[in-house]
Amino acid sequence: MKTWLFLFFGIFFILLAYASWKSYRRNRSAEEFMLAGKSIGPILGFLTFSAALFSAFTFMGMPDFFRNHGIGAWTFLAFSDGVMVFFILWFGYLLRKKAKEHNFQGVAGLMVSSYGTRWAGVAMFASAFIFLIPYVAIQIRGISIFLEAAFPGMLPSWIWALIMVVMMLIYAEIGGLKAIVYSDAIQGLILLLVIWLIGGTCIAAFGNVPDLFAAVENVNDKLLSTPGPNGLFSWQFLLGSMIAVVMIPVTQPQLTTRLVVIKDLASMKKMAYAVGIFAILVIAPTIFIGMYGAVKYPGLPASEFLSQALLFDQAAPVAALAIVGLFAACLSTTNAQIFALGNELRSLLKGEEKRAMRITRISLFFFAAVVMVFSTLMSDELALLARVSFTGTAMMAPIVLMAVISKVKPYWEVIPISFLAFTIYLLSLAGVVPDHVGALRLDLALYLFLVVSVLLLSAIKKIK
Amino acid sequence: MKKKTIWRICTLVVPILIILAYTPLMIPNGVYKPMLLGLPYTLWTSFIITVVLVALTYIGARVHPGNDEEEGES
Repeated sequence: MKTWLFLFFGIFFILLAYASWKSYRRNRSAEEFMLAGKSIGPILGFLTFSAALFSAFTFMGMPDFFRNHGIGAWTFLAFSDGVMVFFILWFGYLLRKKAKEHNFQGVAGLMVSSYGTRWAGVAMFASAFIFLIPYVAIQIRGISIFLEAAFPGMLPSWIWALIMVVMMLIYAEIGGLKAIVYSDAIQGLILLLVIWLIGGTCIAAFGNVPDLFAAVENVNDKLLSTPGPNGLFSWQFLLGSMIAVVMIPVTQPQLTTRLVVIKDLASMKKMAYAVGIFAILVIAPTIFIGMYGAVKYPGLPASEFLSQALLFDQAAPVAALAIVGLFAACLSTTNAQIFALGNELRSLLKGEEKRAMRITRISLFFFAAVVMVFSTLMSDELALLARVSFTGTAMMAPIVLMAVISKVKPYWEVIPISFLAFTIYLLSLAGVVPDHVGALRLDLALYLFLVVSVLLLSAIKKIK
Repeated sequence: MKKKTIWRICTLVVPILIILAYTPLMIPNGVYKPMLLGLPYTLWTSFIITVVLVALTYIGARVHPGNDEEEGES
């Protein structure tokens, strides 16, 4: 396998070097560096959006989610993504209009200019920082536990994490967003190829798809229906997940920015349905990997199951490609998110551009260091941690939605209302606030609170 | 049919599909039969709905009212 690893890593690094060389320009403007000159075409656009969305979390978290909780994981992510891509048609159109009016530099900056108060931008940046850092750490954690299992005793997981973070920083510093977009495209294609190769092997191990599910039925038939063996996939959990996923392009700045940097509206719309097709194609094989794991490795911890299913049960070239694919997925997703945080910070800074860029570049190192520390503290429940991140940022969605929808200056009261929901959700994660309101899950109760509050606020303002 | 009408139909169908997806019709408790091509009930039904949603996105992208407005951006 070592020969295959050297070969595939060699090809991958050559492609990365080429992409950063192609993206590097001396004396480029901040907009060229941070927003790729707002000139991304539809194919690169869909690949970069998909790669930022589907990452180590999809590759590792989803098979483990299917293995432990059953087929409801499809509704949890793939169905939710289907709703999200339709929502992008409406939201992306309005966002791009607003972005053009306000000379978009970042979501936080757009909020400052829409609401006329810095608090709007600070609130968005704070929510992104608090929930994106753990989300990025999930990616690093995912690949480092995999590499540690793949190469036992070679390096501790934190050294693997450090290697990735350093590579990511060098790459981002040289090429800026354009290089990240190219690396996303490379990653998206590797991910799709390798996940189908592995999914195919998992089906082949049982002969065909019906036989695979028949084997699952014999082992644990609760995996074949909702709410699954642990009762996780209740309608409330699935509905709450769908809302959180649909709000990803609204509140996760790495994706919001991608809707704006695509060169025109037609390209953005093509991107939307292409992402939907990609979602189906990339999540489908994770069902087969998960079901394979449910039969073959039902009781193993996540890291052991993943190293068996993705590595040791595969032919050498496929296993090598899986390692390179995961490494690429992790690199591009963390790059996209750290870079987005840097961009958000820059959009809040005032004054000379050179100074703002210097602070932004330093902030990338700071964010990477925080992520590094967090990655050593995360648990192995990748899919659930990702959901927490999506839900946390979704609480701030009314701020962005009101700014994007309103033809006039949006109501400032939306900021404290959203921040209150955000804080309550944070407190529930800390165990200070209960996670249910009566029979209703707290996340659903908070979404309901946000909708009712915004509607009431609008009605009161209209009467006045 | 006018583009605007098709867009409106799309925006009506999507919420109906969303509501259906979270009812016992799509996620019945502990039920996995009838199976289709070996796939359990909730999986094949939600797979079909996901494909329909993506198809509606494709149609929506072609008929979205914003298509008539030129962005005129770089």
